[in-house]
Amino acid sequence: MYKLLLSWRYLKTRFIALASIVSVTLGVATLIVVNSVMSGFVGEMKDRLHGILSDVEIASPGLGEINWPDLHVKEIERIVGDDLLAVTYVVRVPALMNFEFRGRQWTQQIMLMGVDEKTFGKVTDFNPYLLNSKKRDAINFELEETGYDARLGECGWEYRRKKIANQQKIEDLIGPSTADSLVAQASGQSDVTSSEDSSLTNDPNQRAIAFEPLPVVAPVHQATVTDPYPQMNPAIPTSQLSAFDPHADLRDHVRPEEMFNPGRDQHTGIVLGIAISSRQFMNPKGDREELFMVRPGDDIQITLPTSGPTPSPITENCTIVDFYSSNMHEYDSTFAFMSLEKLQEIRRMVDPVTGSSTVSSIQVKLKEGADLNAVRDKLIAFFPPNQYPYVIQTWQDTQRPLLSAVNMEVTILNILLFLIIAVAGFGILATFFMIVVEKTKDIGILKALGAPSHGVMSIFLSYGVSLGTVGTGVGIVLGLLFVYFINDIASVIQWVTGREIFDPTIYYFSQIPTVVSPLMVFLVAIGAIAIAVLASVLPALRAARLHPVEALRYE
Amino acid sequence: MSDAAQTKTLQRGSSKNQQAGGKAPLRVAVPSVLSVSDLYKSYHKGRLDVPVLKGIDIQIHEAEFTTIIGQSGSGKSTLLHLLGTLDAPDKGEIWFQERRIDNLPPRQKERIRNRDFGMIFQFYHLLPELTTLENVLIPRMVQDNFFAYMRNKKKYTERAKELLDIVGLSHRINHRPSEMSGGEMQRTAIARALISKPSILLADEPTGNLDEESGGEVMNTLMSLQQTENLTIVMVTHDNAIADKADRVIRLVDGKVTHC
Repeated sequence: MYKLLLSWRYLKTRFIALASIVSVTLGVATLIVVNSVMSGFVGEMKDRLHGILSDVEIASPGLGEINWPDLHVKEIERIVGDDLLAVTYVVRVPALMNFEFRGRQWTQQIMLMGVDEKTFGKVTDFNPYLLNSKKRDAINFELEETGYDARLGECGWEYRRKKIANQQKIEDLIGPSTADSLVAQASGQSDVTSSEDSSLTNDPNQRAIAFEPLPVVAPVHQATVTDPYPQMNPAIPTSQLSAFDPHADLRDHVRPEEMFNPGRDQHTGIVLGIAISSRQFMNPKGDREELFMVRPGDDIQITLPTSGPTPSPITENCTIVDFYSSNMHEYDSTFAFMSLEKLQEIRRMVDPVTGSSTVSSIQVKLKEGADLNAVRDKLIAFFPPNQYPYVIQTWQDTQRPLLSAVNMEVTILNILLFLIIAVAGFGILATFFMIVVEKTKDIGILKALGAPSHGVMSIFLSYGVSLGTVGTGVGIVLGLLFVYFINDIASVIQWVTGREIFDPTIYYFSQIPTVVSPLMVFLVAIGAIAIAVLASVLPALRAARLHPVEALRYE
Repeated sequence: MSDAAQTKTLQRGSSKNQQAGGKAPLRVAVPSVLSVSDLYKSYHKGRLDVPVLKGIDIQIHEAEFTTIIGQSGSGKSTLLHLLGTLDAPDKGEIWFQERRIDNLPPRQKERIRNRDFGMIFQFYHLLPELTTLENVLIPRMVQDNFFAYMRNKKKYTERAKELLDIVGLSHRINHRPSEMSGGEMQRTAIARALISKPSILLADEPTGNLDEESGGEVMNTLMSLQQTENLTIVMVTHDNAIADKADRVIRLVDGKVTHC
């Protein structure tokens, strides 16, 4: 009874001891904050790293191909057994993307992935990342009328039609029918007011055209040599524009609805990573702006190597049908997706005789909780590397350097922060020694009144436990509050310092992710209390060993 | 000197309960509660052995007010500490109620200190964090475990209030030691010493730190308690005037009993 009473009274009257456990409080709070943010970060990062990667991948290295993928899948299904959830094929090929922006050609390197519309979404978490909500249920590579994310601005079919119509207007302007009037406008009528009634001329792009019109009739090379086959090259009246159309004859036999009409038809559909063709920048006002150099509805050219022993470049017109944003900058700035069949066709990966096509990799999705490494090892055992030059790895293997670096960071941070609490432990040790010295006489009195040594010891031990518990408790509350309000705190710090703490262009997190693990909080609390108790053991032992007579004589 | 020597010889020769000497008639009637025979104690200061008690033989009788008087350094406080089992003698025996107590295991010594001995010190030795009432109750708290104490709390508190009433401090129940005068603190200490209904009260210069008036009050309290509660009191002092109020005076000079 006296132990409780006295340690309670000591707690109430010795505020310096409370000060000594502020370091415990801070240590505990810091540990909780850092662990929560780190595990939030790691969790978010793992999700994103995993996002468009399958659980296990059997890939051929480089531009190599896997022949007879169907037979491979049969074997994989047999080997993996019940753990298997879904399988898909992927063709992966580096490619060059070419597009026009502000009258200039831009070329960029991408990694083109041919994915199966039906199964890719089952194997990876790709679908939710698509910016068109209609495509999230089932991927397709068709341009949509609506459903695009508002941040993209104007896009889709409507944008494409407008753009084509605009181009048509320009073509019409410089075409033969209107060219005369334009020339007349540019040379004869010099007054500005008359040019104002044309709405087009207010557009700087088109005004430039108006000032520098193309020649009305393109110069045609006049053959001076006698034509040996005059009947095959009938003289075409140069005044007719149709003379320049090499397919003019063909056009007569093709119905207009069968002709490629860019306002109605699209090229091969392609889904780009949002960071491939968009830039984020700060405008002079200090706001963040996102610029899309191309957007869904625009056409681009993709140049990629054909398959086989002598790859040669081949260029394909594509229409951007959507963007995806996995929030992993590495992925979003690299990967573009296209229909698997289309890509196989473009790259000539289909065997004309057998009709079977090759793929770059086979991706496997396992059931929740399945042991990825065990499956990988089984697959490696079946496809020994010396016979099949495949790279078989889990998504964690693929991202191992990053993941292990982050894990090491977490470990080192934990060690360092626990050292802080250990330092706090020495602070408690020193303070407690002082308190024991201060209380020497009281210890003598208690012993003189018949209190046993262990009783005296437990006064100081329970004092230490109480202080440790109070310090840890306050630390937990502080830490959890900090974690809860971390984004508000970050914005306050940003407001005070004027520096952005969490740059979303780098991390693609609009919020700092946090995950509070109850086990972690529990372990931190136990560790901190244990340190407080350990630090109070020595002073308590000293108190217990004090000789009553000497303690009483102590002044 | 010769008197002391004689007493010594006599006591050695006699049984513990049999008394002889000048005041024999009184002592024979009452049995001895606490007796000490051939007690030696020395302190070590560095390599030097400083002998403090050099063969002490004393009998303390029940319901008697005994004072041990001596100059400072004569070993009287040491003797009291040995009597109170706070320290162990180098040689000799201490008997309490027909039981040798100097060589008991610590746990039993603690029990005796807590239940059979009441102790009062020169510097009061109250716990500064506790109120008067709590200070008085401390021996009971030490005695019982948490549940037993909570069960008996009412009884103990009544007894404590009763004692505080006897020592004249019922108006000071919730005061801290720092808010009280020396005399009040010492009277609190007396109440504390009595809470466990001890068979013997050991007082180490209870008036040593008090002015004459407070000292007188404390002495009066002790004396009246001795009368009303039939207490056995052993008091150490260096003040002849106070010693004279006792039933019996034992004089210590240089670690030996010179007058008994």
